[in-house]
Formats: sequence, structure tokens, C-alpha cells
Amino acid sequence: MTYRLGVDVGGTFTDLLLVNEETGDLARVKIPSTPGDPSQGVLAGIQRILEQNEVSPKSISHLMHGTTVATNAVLEGKGARVGLLTTQGFQQILHLARSQTPGPLAGWIIMIKPDPPAALEDTREIKERMSAQGEVVKPLDGRQVNSAVQELVDSGVESLTVSLINSFTNPSHEREIEKIIHQLYPGFPVTISSDVLPEIREYERTLTACMNSYVRPKVEGYIGSLEKALADLGMEGKFNILRSDAGLMSTDLTKENPIYAVLSGPAGGVAGALFIAQRAGYQDLLTFDMGGTSTDVALCQKGQATIARETELGYFRIKVPSVNVHSVGAGGGSIAHVPEITKALRVGPQSAGADPGPACYGKGGTEPTVTDANVVVGHLPPRLLGGEMKLAPEAAREAVKKIGDALGLDVDEAAQGILDIVNENMVGALRVVSVQRGYDPRDFALVAFGGAGPMHANAVARLIGCFPVLVPPSPGLLCATGDLVADFRDEFSRTFIRRIDTTSSDEILKVIQELGREAEDWMQREKIPKENQVLSFNADMRYYRQGYEIPIEITPQQLGESGTELLAEHFNQIHEQFYGFRMEGTPCEIVNLRAVGVGRVPKPHLPEGTLDKSSDASHAEIDEHEVYWQGKRVPTKIYDRSKLKPANQVSGPAIITEFDSTTVVLSGYRAQVDRQFNLLITPEEH
Amino acid sequence: MKGVKIAKTPKISIDPVTVDIIEGALKNARFEMDAVLFRTAMSPVIREQHDEFPMLTDPQGRMIVGQFGSYISEMMQNFEQTLEAGDVILTSDPYQCGGAISHINDWLVLVPIFFEDELVGWASMFGHQMDAGGPLPGSLPTGAKTIYGEGIRIPPVKIFQKGKPDENILKLILNNVRMPEMNRADLMGIVAGCRAGEKRVLELCQRFGKDVYLATCQALLDRTHAAMAQLIVQNITEQPVSFEDWIDDDGLGHGPYKMKLTIWREGEHAYFDWSGTDPQAVGPVNFYLNEGMFKMFIGVYLIMVFDPQILFNDGFYPLLHVIIPDGSLLHPKFPSALGCRTHALTRLFDVLGGALARNAPELSTAAGYGTSPYMLYSGWDQKGAFFYVMEISYGGIPGRPVGDGMDGHSWWPLFENIPTEYLEAYYPLRVDGYTSITDSGGAGFHRGGNGIEKRYVYLEPGELSIHDDRWLTYPWGILGGKPGMRSEKILVRKGQGPQRLPSKCDEVQVQPGDMLIYRTAGGGGWKNPLDRPMERVESDVSKGLVSKEKAEQDYGVIVGDAKATERLRKKMRSRQKEEGVFDRGPALEKILENCRKETGLEPPVRQEPLPWAALESPEEARRRVREQGDRQTTLTE
Repeated sequence: MTYRLGVDVGGTFTDLLLVNEETGDLARVKIPSTPGDPSQGVLAGIQRILEQNEVSPKSISHLMHGTTVATNAVLEGKGARVGLLTTQGFQQILHLARSQTPGPLAGWIIMIKPDPPAALEDTREIKERMSAQGEVVKPLDGRQVNSAVQELVDSGVESLTVSLINSFTNPSHEREIEKIIHQLYPGFPVTISSDVLPEIREYERTLTACMNSYVRPKVEGYIGSLEKALADLGMEGKFNILRSDAGLMSTDLTKENPIYAVLSGPAGGVAGALFIAQRAGYQDLLTFDMGGTSTDVALCQKGQATIARETELGYFRIKVPSVNVHSVGAGGGSIAHVPEITKALRVGPQSAGADPGPACYGKGGTEPTVTDANVVVGHLPPRLLGGEMKLAPEAAREAVKKIGDALGLDVDEAAQGILDIVNENMVGALRVVSVQRGYDPRDFALVAFGGAGPMHANAVARLIGCFPVLVPPSPGLLCATGDLVADFRDEFSRTFIRRIDTTSSDEILKVIQELGREAEDWMQREKIPKENQVLSFNADMRYYRQGYEIPIEITPQQLGESGTELLAEHFNQIHEQFYGFRMEGTPCEIVNLRAVGVGRVPKPHLPEGTLDKSSDASHAEIDEHEVYWQGKRVPTKIYDRSKLKPANQVSGPAIITEFDSTTVVLSGYRAQVDRQFNLLITPEEH
Repeated sequence: MKGVKIAKTPKISIDPVTVDIIEGALKNARFEMDAVLFRTAMSPVIREQHDEFPMLTDPQGRMIVGQFGSYISEMMQNFEQTLEAGDVILTSDPYQCGGAISHINDWLVLVPIFFEDELVGWASMFGHQMDAGGPLPGSLPTGAKTIYGEGIRIPPVKIFQKGKPDENILKLILNNVRMPEMNRADLMGIVAGCRAGEKRVLELCQRFGKDVYLATCQALLDRTHAAMAQLIVQNITEQPVSFEDWIDDDGLGHGPYKMKLTIWREGEHAYFDWSGTDPQAVGPVNFYLNEGMFKMFIGVYLIMVFDPQILFNDGFYPLLHVIIPDGSLLHPKFPSALGCRTHALTRLFDVLGGALARNAPELSTAAGYGTSPYMLYSGWDQKGAFFYVMEISYGGIPGRPVGDGMDGHSWWPLFENIPTEYLEAYYPLRVDGYTSITDSGGAGFHRGGNGIEKRYVYLEPGELSIHDDRWLTYPWGILGGKPGMRSEKILVRKGQGPQRLPSKCDEVQVQPGDMLIYRTAGGGGWKNPLDRPMERVESDVSKGLVSKEKAEQDYGVIVGDAKATERLRKKMRSRQKEEGVFDRGPALEKILENCRKETGLEPPVRQEPLPWAALESPEEARRRVREQGDRQTTLTE
């Protein structure tokens, strides 16, 4: 018997999902995260889930892991001190950036520009120069490299980046410097810009490489200690990390290029939501992942998440392929406060985190959080986590009362105010990914997950009109589900700037075959069986002198038979389809060639039930209590989700509790259970 | 405009969610227009530097989303032809669109949007063409004395009729430019961008109904109108305030040219009066300022300074009244040369900021590098192929209330530098260094940004053109902040010593190995540098942005010695005199007197007014605006 294990570390909880590879049976564990050293929580969780299910560590074939270690390092500005080696004359490459200030006109007046990942003090110019054609203009001065590297390492930098002008066409100087660093300081973390992003445009390449260095020691340390501890446990299976584009990669690659996993956490949620929603018959969806510290939303259309070739982390645009996720600092742990000057009620972005956590956790927290407000209004019954964690409602009331006092409101009103504001903030995030990109949220289903998502989803959907709200079973574990259903994915690309009329199909084929071999080698190293390997090729193309490329699919066989003219024609067609015109007579140009390897992973079989005879859900009622709703306390039934069967219906107001989450159904709405045990919340028909 | 039925905006109220959705979709459409053009354009000025401007308007031609105010009414007033769906209009003549575009390099495209045979709006966009014909590559000759000497001037003409391109007209136009392929790509990119905007507007009309769409446009305009009325009353006084500043020269040895703005309020209406501005220049530094566009500048500036949360569009236009005397630098008479208007365009913001600062200095910024500096390089390579590159440079952003000015950033939004790797891959040059200039930012509690130094090494014989300003007058500091350093251009010919080049020049011959050191001005400082925390000055020194000497001289900081710093600062404070709000450096007469000594260049001389371009007197100009309204109008049938 072998098992796969998905592990997702959120800001507040660490979720684990164990699936039996033969039967598809699922087991789950949720324990508080350990932000100081997240690997502790992961290990404790693994031990617990193995013990509870009497599974030996040796039976784990694959461990798939989504981690926010890299993201947090960037967002909190707590990455490594990075040293940068760059070409003489370009010390200020990150400082000057692209010289851009934001719109509209006069936007510079209020622009705040954060410090770059490598400080000017830690940047050294190297005497060398490569031409744009890849010829050496000035040879590398090895002695000078030596002293610059020593100076930086002695001054305390923790990670080095080498990024030289024109290295995308000839990386030999970057390679030489890498060798010198390895000789001087074996094992010292070095990022080579042409490895991470072998593409033209020096600022973007340098920034992405420096960000890689910035997060690398943290990620390396984290994965290293986890690997060691897992080996100590006796685990021999494969350990993989989820990439930002929702593909899997090995831990070795992650340790070298952690920047590819910078949105690993959110990508897992999107992959999981897509998997669940498609099973339930929904192709167009908004994902709504509300955790303890932040909420991530994304839009998926026609069963596909939108993948961007670059991603924004605060001010920084990092060029790695990523699921297009938008994030706001609003979560269950977000702290409510009333600033002295404005007397306005604000919620977040500060968060109580997992420790001490919201006041109601009784772990010493006194600040009023969104979770505390949910306790006060009665959305959150006093027992959490299947009875393992008991809440302290009095502490929650006391904390929320501080807000009420500052605003002249009673405790219930203050709690409702906190919820209204946080809901509005999250609606704002949903607008960014839908309305602002031209989509009408009313055409989408809302998939709610994360610890707090199902509690707020009905209220949020009510504001923006996206129904049904789909709450999967164990919504807190959806990211871990995503880790489990992801496929292996990696890209192998090379900058190959050629006008189509100056190259031949043989020349192109030679390169893509090399890239294809790299991809196949990689899949072999990942031990992906031949029948699950999918290899595809594309060329980034443009008209000569355009600056942006369109990826054009290449079939090697077709290219061999029909030559480059067909490729050019294919590009012309796509250009016309995208932009409405083609440029007859203007030669097109190839910029990058790429092989994409995908290793398909068998999907777990999730349980499916048979429809119950009636819609009546009274057998699942376990309690009744009062919930504050529109100015008064209303008696509200509490249901046990594990007792609800497909076809059962629950009318709002109602609260549905389960192992890791609580779903709130508002008055005027009802929730129905589908065959896959999802709750579908829709407005009550009149 | 013949046979066009302009859709009427119904008076219905729209629920706020729908307003939000349509607003979001329009904003998105505007960014989509940009994206389509960036992705298809060939000229790096559009694609890498983003010198292009999209807009969507309502049926009356009022801008709902975009970056510039609308100009459509001025343009269409004299358009005598029919107009149908699928038509596309192109123009590059500033004199035939009320200055909507202000030099012939900007090619402006207009696409009328018809929904069920009614005109529901316009999609429009213009972009800076790398070349538009004329005697010199780039079509910005610094020696032009009339617009005929600049390049091809396209009146508003249909280049597409009912969706079909008019190849004859396109041929005629493209025959006059140096790189027809590039102009064609960029023009088609602009048309494609407008089409993307058109498509989104039609989708909205389909989805929500034409009436809801149009009423929402009105609601969006009303929202801005109300917000701006409040801003005007709060921030502009009934008592007139004035500010003046200079652009240095006209490229022909004349200058400096004064720009003067006076602002006052009557009720919730504000007046912006450019009387007192110098008569138009002989050289091409005139800036044909469109009143609607200037209103947009004012609106955006007020919003940014006083309340960045407000959204803006054309809704507030009726509240602003703009007086620009005919025959002045800002409303030159046909056929004055206009190519190099970027200096006056930028100075306009310095003057606007300075005038508004009279009442609210604490909220105001200092002056920046003060122009859009260009470098142009062209020639024939060894294989006989023509090459030509134009790059816009940046400089020191002023010290601001929120913090230091950025070093080497663009004052114009969303512009970007051209990557060195891109320049080197496509043009015969090498960038030997790209850095900000130590000490060039004016000292202040918030430091002015440093100017830029870019070193170009040329690899083929060719010709250079340079366009810059602030080589003579200083970017001023504010409230005790010091002025920024001035710009300079140095040519180092292979095997020879450095040679100072003028700030505006053409046809400078270069040979392989020659190097141009291109330095732009810094930004002025904000408030007293003696109050800047010592650690921040020390950090600037260790980053190489400020020298130890300047730290001591201007900030009173002895690096690494807190006690000595305290003593020095105390001494310096006791000597500090109470000065005015603005620090412009030496007086203008002194600057002119020392010009040759300090810059190695001849000082410019005052220009006599042109006999054929009489200046409208302030009284006449004011009377004209009070009686007829300003030149900005809206479309009617």
C-alpha cells in the first residue's frame, strides 16, 4: 500500500492530506502553524497523520508541498542580505530600475519606492564586458572578482547574485565568476542571472535573480532541515514543491531556484479549487481563499487558471510564470483598530497571526480580530477543530468591546462593523480580478476555502453577485488538495534571436531537440514514467523590431516537413487574431525557444455519494444558538456537515460546522449538498 | 462631421454597483489599448518608453478614461466629411486639432464608436513616431523656424473607410518618412489599440444597454465634477497668486523665455491665466497648449497633491477657465515651429506647482529635472543600412512631502528607460555606464533626486542630436531645500579631450569610439537639509549618492561623528537667514553673467517679438475668455 501526502503551510494553520494511491481514501490533519520555524509544524503534522492512520513513513511515495516561506520573506522584507556583482558602469541597475513612476500624471508625488533586494552598498562592479552579439569586449579580471567577492562575503552578505550585461547571449563571464566564488567559498549560495531568466532586458533579469538570492537561504534552510527530519523519520519517497504556476518541481531545483515557488501557496489553492469545481461541473470560477492573515483570489475561465509570465510582489515585477493571484491583507486574524485622528474603523493589514492569535483562542491575545467578531455575532460556535480547540467567547467580547467603546457602539454592533469592513475589503480584491479585467462576477461561481473563507463567502457573494458559492468538503484543506493534484512541470528555454529569413528549420530543430532532451532528462530524474510524460515546444516570436513576443507552438515533425515558412504563417495568423492586423512583407523573428515538460500525476479519487431520498436536513441538526443579524439576535440552527448527505438542503440563517471550518448561510439563502459533498449556496427562490 | 447621429444621454439613475462595474471595465479597456500597442509597436519610444496616450470618450467627446483631456471636439468641428462605423481618422497637425497633439511626431488616431447607428463615443490614441520626415532623422530639428521645416504634416484624413485601409493615402504619407515599415507598424498598432477600446465599449452597450452605459458615463463625469468643485474651493484662494519660471533657450541662441501663471477663484470656478508669458519663440520650443489638456493637467495635479483617492475624467472642465494669450509661447501662431515643445511642457508643471505652493507650501514639491531630454543617433552602417535611435532620458525627481525625490526617474508617468541590452542588440552603440550623478540632487530634509549620467560609445560614423534644458537655470528647492544641479553634455572624441556641447543641437558628427557623456539635471530639495536625520545623510554617503563634502557643506553632517555634526549644525543654523519659499540659486542676471565661465557656452540673448505674431494683451485675452469662454468645447450635432 502506498500513499501520497499533500502538505500546505498557511500563516495560521498547517494542513495535511493523505491519500491512499489504490483506494483513493483520504485522511486529514490540521494543526497550528509554527511561523518561527514552519518545518516544526509540518513534521508534527506528518507524524500525527501517519500515527492516526497507522501508515509507515516508508509507504509514502510522494510528498507534495506548497510553501509560503519565499513569499513571506519578500513581503515582510526579511530575506537574506544579497551581494550583487554586475558589469562596470551598472552599479545602480536596481536603484534606477526602469525609471518608472506610476500613473496618472503627477503620480510621482505620492510614489513610495521600496529598497531593492540587493543594497547599493552590497553591489560591486566587475571589470568585464560582453557585446550584444556575445563577443568579449573586455575580458574578465579574475583578480578583481576575487577581491570583490571576498569583500562582500566578509562584510556579511548571505547570498550572491551574478548578473552581467548581455549574459543572456553569452553567459561565460557569469560562469567564470561562479567558478571563482565556488573556489573561494564552496557551497556559498550563488544565483546566476542567465540560469534563472536567460532573457534580454538586464533590469528584469537582475531583479529576478536578486530576488532568488534574497529568498534562497531561507528556503534552502527550510527544505534542508525538513528533508533531514523526514529522512530521520524513515521516509524514502519523493519530496516535491509546488511552483508558482501550479506545477511541481523537485526540492533540489527549489533550493537552487526558489523564486519559481514564490507564489507556491496560492497556486495550490487555485489548483485545488479548479479540480473540485470542475468535478462539480463549474468551469468559470473565482477562487476565494481566506486564511488567517490574508485572502487570495483568482479568476479561472473555461477550466483554466490564468498564468502570467511575470508576477507583482508589492512594487517588484518578477519574471517567473505564475498563477494570476491577487492578495489582500484581510484574514481571520486581521486586527481591527480605530485610529485616534480619523476615528474610522479599520481592519488589518496587521494580523494576530497564529501566536498569540485572536483573543478567543485564549493564548494571551487581546487585540480584536475578525475571528473574534465572528465569535461575538455567533458565526463561530465555541468549539473549533472537531472539538480539539475550545474558544473563549468572553475574551472575544472583551476585545471587541474596545472597538465598540471607541466608536460608541455596543459589542454586537462593533463586531458586525468589523465584519462589514473586512467583507468590503475582500470584495475589492475580487473586483480587481474580475470587473477590472472586464469580467462580470455574476457569471462566475465562487469557490470558498481556507480556514475563514466559508464563513464569509455568502456575505461576500451577496455584495458582488457571484453564485453559487461552492464550499468543498474540508475547505481548509483545499491548498493541500491542490498540492496533491498538481502535475510536474518545468520549462527549458534558450534565447535564440534570429530573423526567420536568416535561420533554417534545421537550426531551430537542433536547438529544440537539445531542449527536449534536457526536459526528458529532467523527467527521467523525476522518475516520471514514460507514458505520463508530455513534451511540447514553443517559440516566442514577433515581427522584427517589435519588443513583445507571442508564444507559437512548434511541432518538430511539422517544422521538419514544412520548414520555417509555416512557422511564420502561423505567427502571422495568431498576430492577426490577437491584434487585428498582420504585417505582410515584414520578417518575423524568433526570440526564445522553449521545451515544456509535464509529468502527469494520477489524480486521487475523491468520494462521491448517492443522492438522499429527501432534501430534509434535520437529521444533521446538532444545536441551536443565537446569531446577531441585522440588529437583533435570531435563533439559528447549527448543523454537523459530516451528517449531511447529497441532496440535503439547509435554509439560512444556518451554521454548518465541520472538522476544519464553519460555513455561514445567511437569511434568504440556502445551501444544498451535491454528489461530491460540496455545499452550493444560492439565493432562496421566491 | 456629416450625417452622424450623436446618441443622447438619458436622465436615469444608475445603481452604484453598475457604475463601479462599467468604470472598472472602461479603465481596463484603456489599459488594454496600451497593451495592444506596446505588444505590436516597433519603435522603442512607444514600446519601451511608453510615449503614447489612449483615451475613451462619451458621445460629446469628453474623456471618461485616459491620461490626457479630450481634444475631439476641437478636431471634429471642422471635419466636413461623413463618418461611419469602421472609419479611422489620422492627423499629425497640431494646428488642426487645437494643439491636442503638440508636435508633428505625434500621430493621433480617432475611431468613432457606433452602436446601432448612433455615435456612443470615441476611442483615440496618439503615439510619438520615431521619425516623421523633414530634414533630420527624428523630425525635431533644433534649428526649425516654421513647422514646414520639421516634417510631414497630416491634416485630419480618413485612413480607413468602413474598415478598409485607404492604401493611397497611406502610401503618400509613408513615402515621406525614413522608416516606413516602422511607422506603418506603429500606426497599425495604434489603430489596433483603438479597435480594442471600441470593442469593449460596444460590449458594454450590448451588456447593459446603451442608455445605462451612457448614463453611467455621465454619472462618472458628475462624480469628478463634484469632487473637483470641493478641491477648488478648499485649495484655491480668491486672492490671485502668481509664479514664474524660465525655459533656458530656443536652440537658436535666444532666451531665456519666461512662463508666468496667475491663479484665482470666483465661487467654485477657478481661473488659470498665462498672461505675462513671453511672446512666441523663433526656434521650435513653442508649446501649443490645448486648453482641455491643460485643464486635465490642473485636475490631476490638484488631485495628486490634495486627495489622490479621487478619480478623474473630463467632468470638471466647466469649473476651470484657461486664459492663454494668442501669440505667446503657449499659443503660437501658425506656422511657428513646435518640434521641441517638451521643455515648455515640463516647465508648465513647475510653474503650476509653484503657483499652487504659494498657498500650501507644505503640501508642495520642489522642481525636477525639468524636461524630457532626448538623444538621437543616426547614420549608415558598414553594410549601407540606415540606422536611427532616439532615447528619452530622465533625471532627478524633486524632494516631496512624502519623501526624497527618486534618483534618475521619469517625471512623466509610466515612461521607462530603454534596456541597455535592447539598445546594443539593435543599434551600433554601447552603453559604457548608466548611473545617477553623486550630489546632483538638491539638499533638503527630503533630498532632491540625482540626475542621470549615461555614457554612450558610438560604433559607427553618424550624427547626433541632443535636446535638453535646465543647463542654465536651476531646478529650484522649496522651504529651505537647495536647488538641484544643472544638466550638461560632454563629447569625448577618441584620442581627444572632452568638449562641452550645447543643450540643444543637431548634426554633431561622431566617429567609432567617440563617447557622449549625457548628464541630466537633479531635483530640488524639500525643506531644511540641516534637519535631515544624520543616519539618512550617512546612508546616502555610503551608497555613493551624496559625497562626504556635500554632507558637510549642505547638511552639516560629519560622517561618523555625531558630536561634531551637532556642533556644525548648530553653527550653520545660527547663520541661516530666513529666506523665501523658493530657492532658485543665483539671480538670473548673475547666472547669465557667469554663463560662459561656468558652462563654457555662450549665454542666450533676449529675443525681439516676431513682427507677424502679435501678442494678445492680458486684457484682451481675459475679455475673450469671459465673453466667449475658452477654446475648449464639447461636440454637438
